[in-house]
Amino acid sequence: MTIELKGRIDSNNASQVEKSILAQLEGKSREAVVLDAAALEYISSAGLRIILRIKKNCPDLRIVNVNSEVYEILDMTGFTEMMTVEKAYRVVTLDGCEEIGRGANGSIYRIDQDNVIKVYNNADALADIQHEREVAKLALILGIPTAISYDVVRVGDSYGSVFELLNARSFSKILAEEPEKMDFCVQEYVKMLKKIHETQVPAGKLPDMKETALSWARFMQDHLPGEAGKKLLALIEAVPHDDHMIHGDYHTKNLMLQNDEVLIIDMDTLAVGHPIFELASMFNSLVGYSELDHETIKRFQGFDYETGRRFWHRSLSAYLGTNCETKIREVEDKARVLGYTRMIRRSIRRKGLENEKTRAEIALWKEELLALLEKTDTLLFSLNELEIDAEEDRLQEVQAFVDEHLEAADCPVKAQMQIAVAVEEIFVNIASYAYVPEKGKAKVRVEVSDEPVSVTITFVDHGIPYDPVAREDPDVTLPASQRDIGGLGIFMTKQIMDDVAYEYKDGQNILTLKKRL
Amino acid sequence: MLNINKTIDEGKASYLLEGRLDTVTAPELEKELKASLDGISELTLDFEKLDYISSAGLRVLLSTQKVMTKQGKLKIVHVNETIMEIFEVTGFTDILTIE
Repeated sequence: MTIELKGRIDSNNASQVEKSILAQLEGKSREAVVLDAAALEYISSAGLRIILRIKKNCPDLRIVNVNSEVYEILDMTGFTEMMTVEKAYRVVTLDGCEEIGRGANGSIYRIDQDNVIKVYNNADALADIQHEREVAKLALILGIPTAISYDVVRVGDSYGSVFELLNARSFSKILAEEPEKMDFCVQEYVKMLKKIHETQVPAGKLPDMKETALSWARFMQDHLPGEAGKKLLALIEAVPHDDHMIHGDYHTKNLMLQNDEVLIIDMDTLAVGHPIFELASMFNSLVGYSELDHETIKRFQGFDYETGRRFWHRSLSAYLGTNCETKIREVEDKARVLGYTRMIRRSIRRKGLENEKTRAEIALWKEELLALLEKTDTLLFSLNELEIDAEEDRLQEVQAFVDEHLEAADCPVKAQMQIAVAVEEIFVNIASYAYVPEKGKAKVRVEVSDEPVSVTITFVDHGIPYDPVAREDPDVTLPASQRDIGGLGIFMTKQIMDDVAYEYKDGQNILTLKKRL
Repeated sequence: MLNINKTIDEGKASYLLEGRLDTVTAPELEKELKASLDGISELTLDFEKLDYISSAGLRVLLSTQKVMTKQGKLKIVHVNETIMEIFEVTGFTDILTIE
């Protein structure tokens, strides 16, 4: 039963309107009553009281086609939370609009200088739009710079959500037009990626990527030899639950440079999980999808296959904090296991086996996947950065973390022990003095470089500014009776490491230790 | 992890240290020594099974050396190469009696 509301409803005509509505409802079912507000211009509190009274008898009352002024009134007065209120959608055409981005569930167009619109592939996209809006809000609150849509519009037969995005250029465009900005793009791409992966998400707010990956693996059981299929499932099963955020579709068209600010968009694939799942989809978008037909990436990202490969390799190296090829290759292979799994499944579901070109693609990916499954024992890898409570009893964890990276780099045992001494001195220093009497965190980063073979360990804390390097060295020639016990730790650190540098920046103590191996 | 194995015999004490002498374990050794140095004139610290020492460990050695200078002597034996290097850069080779 639909009842139309028209013009203005205020204290002048409220009782008439109410009578008219009651007359229309007379003898009708009170279920599924809809108030159509397409022609409603204004509603005062007298009008709102009518709606409340009707709602009492019609618990499922909905108001639809609400214009934005009326919507604002309903929103302010809490009506949008009490009942279903659907906005009237502005109609937008895309004639002559430039496509600036494309994601898994839709494409993004610029409609004017300040605004872009994401048009969803799915015609019945209102739920998707709502979902994306919610996850984008969540991400923003958790500190991820993103754009949140402020309006929903009709575009032909589908829906679009509108975002404000001023003068923004995607990283794909920058890479295609200004290849000399590769360094900048890698740096910002990895910075944002780390920020996303460092973000802890409250339980239950986002889907678990591991579950999704398990569903791919289950699908693959029919398309892989039994042993290989089982191994794939087991590898994914063994990835522990991780409550950190992953974007899910992190490619260069979804990263925007707006003036000097970097924004990540297309948030509908947001999930939680181990970063290996993210690396898999990054590999696909930058390399995997184009491995057979190198032109694919050009159509999608606008830059060529070589650029994609180089960008992927350099980003992975920066993300892992190493330029050790063995380590990069090792993690790349783990990402490829999941990447091929995902691509094969997607292609088969899209009837890829019925078409010659996609059949060749599936064959190639499957061959690679089988070879990888032979030699892969785990999908896990460790990042080169650890954030930990700056407390003395966490020292062992810090040491274990540093050792793991040094061992992976074949660091000689002696240097490893010396570095451990330096790490202990610095970490215990932070734990003892940086935050007293409060508590705080310390970040430890290990970077291994091939040329020259060296290791760099960086400590970052937000505590009281303190430059340990400036401390005067103790006189190590004095006899025991005259020796003071202070200052020995930082002195040893300076002796052990080839370079110790301190910097105070953005409210952080940053201490960098470097040793050639 | 630090295992301390001590033997005391008529004013002579010997400590066999095994594992790591670091921020976590140094206080254990310090406490152990404080409790039993009375009347000891010859103290031996055996480093044969010690893998690691940090400045927290060095501080215990320094304070022990100060006590022992007054009441007898301290010697450290079986020091491995890496720990020896730490002693060298910190000037501890000049302070301690190392065999």
